[in-house]
Amino acid sequence: MIIKRLDISWATLVVLLLIFVIALYRVPAASWATLGMGPVLEALHAPVRWMQDVSLWFEERRQLQREYTALKRRLEQLAAIIQRTRSLEEENRQLKALLGIANIEGFDWQAAKVLGRSPDTMSQRLLVQTRQADIDDVVVSSEGLVGLVVESGQGYAVVRTILDASLSVPVTLPDSHLASLVRGQGDELIIDFIPWEEAPGVGDVFVTSGAGGLFPPGIPVARVLRVEPVPGRMYAHVEGQPVAQWRKANWLAIANRHGAGHRP
Amino acid sequence: MTVLWTIIALLGMALNLAFSHVLVQPDWALAILTGTVLAHRGAWLWAAPLASVHDLLFFDSLWGLLPVVLVVPLALPYLDFHLGPALPQRFVFMLLALAPMIMFGVPLASCMLTAACLIPFWHFMAGYYARRA
Repeated sequence: MIIKRLDISWATLVVLLLIFVIALYRVPAASWATLGMGPVLEALHAPVRWMQDVSLWFEERRQLQREYTALKRRLEQLAAIIQRTRSLEEENRQLKALLGIANIEGFDWQAAKVLGRSPDTMSQRLLVQTRQADIDDVVVSSEGLVGLVVESGQGYAVVRTILDASLSVPVTLPDSHLASLVRGQGDELIIDFIPWEEAPGVGDVFVTSGAGGLFPPGIPVARVLRVEPVPGRMYAHVEGQPVAQWRKANWLAIANRHGAGHRP
Repeated sequence: MTVLWTIIALLGMALNLAFSHVLVQPDWALAILTGTVLAHRGAWLWAAPLASVHDLLFFDSLWGLLPVVLVVPLALPYLDFHLGPALPQRFVFMLLALAPMIMFGVPLASCMLTAACLIPFWHFMAGYYARRA
């Protein structure tokens, strides 16, 4: 009887192991699992939202007045910024037309609410709530590039951040011909293919070059932390950190390429 | 009881995913699953699928808690036979279960909180299985 039970246990173990090994190499099981948690996380966030809504009723009048004044001032400042942005936009459009550069307006931008994020620093996947997203859509925060959509479902999408070792982003320094790649390495970024003679300074910001056509050009990606020579090699060892601070951001933007849904 | 702990473990995973950026919290699922397997190695059959979901969600890999959950029922009888049934080998497996958290960059405070939850839960489950036996 005991031998029979042991046999069943062993058989189950072997079958489970086989399933896991197949699943690991054949399907994006991690993304599916994260995607499946979407409705649960939304339900968990609901009480927090309700609490915030209810707390508004108990705000004191004076505090509300103070906030109103601050917001009014902020609105005036924003109106001035918008005005300036419009004039810069027009100037930019004219310059682009002059230079013949492809317009990056070939992307549809939409807001996405962050529902969940994995607590580790190695993969750092995010689960976002969005109307519609396709695989390989670019995700940015207000500061810079966050990552790519790797899985999407009914109203949710899983985002793989640039800290993930499987992502490489073609980057350049503004106003330079440097072409390099940023790839994730846990909680830091490695910037490859930078000749030592052209090595950037600490604090310099790399932006997307637009090479490959996946990422729109000009989005800040990485801020340089360390630059070291590698003995016997022409390329420098450059480490950086992401410009985007997605660990705290509640809202991100997803760039959907026009006609991306028809990609094979 | 198994269904209840499954729901709690899944809820724990959801809590970790939803609020890991606003508050430091233990890895609830890891504490529950490791505590259960250490208390009663026969529970691996229930714990293994949950451990795989946990690893995929948090580590994007199956090299986290799952190997420990699978190794415990094989290694503990062997170690108990040679060393005598005792706590030290179980503590080693507890540390092995916590090691992936540090390896995958989970904050140290979270790891300590997980250990602080795991030990009482392990004690509780050991009592539960002892009463049932």
